[in-house]
Amino acid sequence: MEITVEAIVFLVFSAITLGGALQVVLTRNLFHAALYLMLSLFGVAGLFVLLTAPFLAGAQVVIYIGAITILIIFAIMLTPQVTRVLKVHHTQWPVALALAALLFVGLVWTQTPLADELGADGWSADFTVEDPADVPADSLTDLGKSLVDPERYMLPFEAASLLLMAALIGAVLLVNRPDDNPDAEAAPAAGARPDQSG
Amino acid sequence: MFEVPGLGDLNVAATLPVTSLVLGTCILLIVDLFVPTDRKHITAWLAALGIGVLLVLALLALGEITEFGDGEEAFSGMFVADAFTDMINVIALITALLGVMVAYNYLERTGIQRGEYYVLLLFATAGVMFMGAAGDLVVVFVALELLSIPLYILSGFRRPQEASEESALKYFLLGAFASGFLVYGIALIYGATGTTNLHDIWQAAGDIVAGHKSGRFLLLGGAGLALVGLGFKVAAVPFHMWTPDVYQGAPTPVVAYMSVAAKAGGFAAMARVLASGLSNFALDPGEAAVWQDTVWLLAILTMLLGNVVAIVQTDLKRLLAYSSIAHAGYILIAVAAAGTAAVADEAVQSVAIYLMAYALTNVGAFAVIVAVERDDATNTGLDSMRGLANARPWLAAAMALFMFSLTGIPLTAGFVGKWFVFKAALAADLIPAAVVGVVTSLVSAFYYLRIVWLMYFEESEVEVSTPWPLAWAIGVASVGTLLLGMLPYILTDMVREITLAFGG
Repeated sequence: MEITVEAIVFLVFSAITLGGALQVVLTRNLFHAALYLMLSLFGVAGLFVLLTAPFLAGAQVVIYIGAITILIIFAIMLTPQVTRVLKVHHTQWPVALALAALLFVGLVWTQTPLADELGADGWSADFTVEDPADVPADSLTDLGKSLVDPERYMLPFEAASLLLMAALIGAVLLVNRPDDNPDAEAAPAAGARPDQSG
Repeated sequence: MFEVPGLGDLNVAATLPVTSLVLGTCILLIVDLFVPTDRKHITAWLAALGIGVLLVLALLALGEITEFGDGEEAFSGMFVADAFTDMINVIALITALLGVMVAYNYLERTGIQRGEYYVLLLFATAGVMFMGAAGDLVVVFVALELLSIPLYILSGFRRPQEASEESALKYFLLGAFASGFLVYGIALIYGATGTTNLHDIWQAAGDIVAGHKSGRFLLLGGAGLALVGLGFKVAAVPFHMWTPDVYQGAPTPVVAYMSVAAKAGGFAAMARVLASGLSNFALDPGEAAVWQDTVWLLAILTMLLGNVVAIVQTDLKRLLAYSSIAHAGYILIAVAAAGTAAVADEAVQSVAIYLMAYALTNVGAFAVIVAVERDDATNTGLDSMRGLANARPWLAAAMALFMFSLTGIPLTAGFVGKWFVFKAALAADLIPAAVVGVVTSLVSAFYYLRIVWLMYFEESEVEVSTPWPLAWAIGVASVGTLLLGMLPYILTDMVREITLAFGG
């Protein structure tokens, strides 16, 4: 059994990911939780680098760390009362823990035979089955092309843009304050029903 | 550079019903900007008109009078335009048309008449249609979100009202959670088979089963998680928690539309993923599909919980929420039956029949609730039905018909749906599920017929408003329910061509 450099790097990044995720759940300060989430996502980005997927690593940093976590932090700062949660309210965590453990064992159980089949053995497993040099250099170009290629992912890509538009309309609708809208204010005319025909 | 394939190669014409719906919706969104706030009925009219035209097109395609495009595949297998697609298109468009008619006056009198309502409703409809046509798991996922996100927003459409806001938030959080399960499942299926295309998955699953490869456990995990995700959307027990709260809090016309659209979409996706992509996935070659046992167990739980809990409900919307959970159970029996290769076609056809019958009946029942509901969203209790027959005999008759149909009494569409579902279950040797189905149908008679009793044999003051679009929606739904019930061959003709299993 030989411990390779990749294995050590993998362990370090895994520890960062899992440790950060654990702290997100355990810490009582919501602001700290957001920072730990950032750490955990950084670990995932590292794992992507290890898998020679630099684009995914970059996207992970830019989108998850750069955009989503920052947004969460904004949300926390705009609602100051939630940062001081001193009492833990959830009481069902043992059940959740048991279920999560069950899912973990189940997944490991289903994936171990697959790993055996692929010829991976313990620590000396090739984390990159292919030589990094064999991975096509322009995989990013391939990704971009396949997204807009009508023979590949153009249809779901376009459907996803519709989805974003629907979400955009919804966001505008839901944050639009009712007082900005004269119609909505005149609305709840309870009792009076001019169109009553029964 | 790119080789740009011609439109003909991609068979874009085959996607005509859904692509024109999407284009029309985008145009409607722009047109709506120029419609003055006090004249939003124009937007509603345009939406209804567009749906009507597309419904005619979809019916022509279903009746094989015209064919759009040639062949069943479009966009290199991403989109499948077969008889099942046509049927789901028809169900989705009928639901959308009734949804617009039911909503119009309600939005007017509660002061939430806005063009976005119709645009979002059309987007959700496009999501259902994409789901029925999905040939790839990526399309299944995107279509499911395209259906769900407008529904989350519509649930919160009466926003300053707390119940509506609460229902939107609950629906959103649990729905997002469910989508997570589905994506995880899709990832594992991809891991096991190396593809997201349903036909390729079918082939890969065949190899995995024949070769006793260990990938089958991974595929098992993937199928299980995907089933959880879709189970949330169709409100199957134990993933039904959101349903009563969302149905009770959301604006009633939204619930009328959502209760059918979410089910049609969810079951269309379930049929595509399980009965098509994973139809030959058994732990040992030659056996029934491995997911069959799980699905019929879910079906039994769903029918039992939905029907038993519905008995004690005193709010009509909540009662129909549990009833819709129960109906998800009946459709799940048919999905489970599709796991036996010999009856797969019959089972999928019965899913389509049940969805069609359920669409007309359930939108109709909710439309009657819209008629009795007050502007402040009260008066949706069982009491609101008391004495309805004296004041409004036709409305009461329609409601009674919907209740009979939901119970599954002969000469209504609901009976036809249940008949074919139980027939498929017996053919697939799922005796326990069929027995529980029949027994719970008897139980359901108690709460459905209690509503009929209240309408006909008790006296009370009633206040009802049925402006003409709503009255027409109720009329169309009840005529449809009766017609499909008395002439069941209309339905069987519609679904005759449906076959989802891949051959050869």
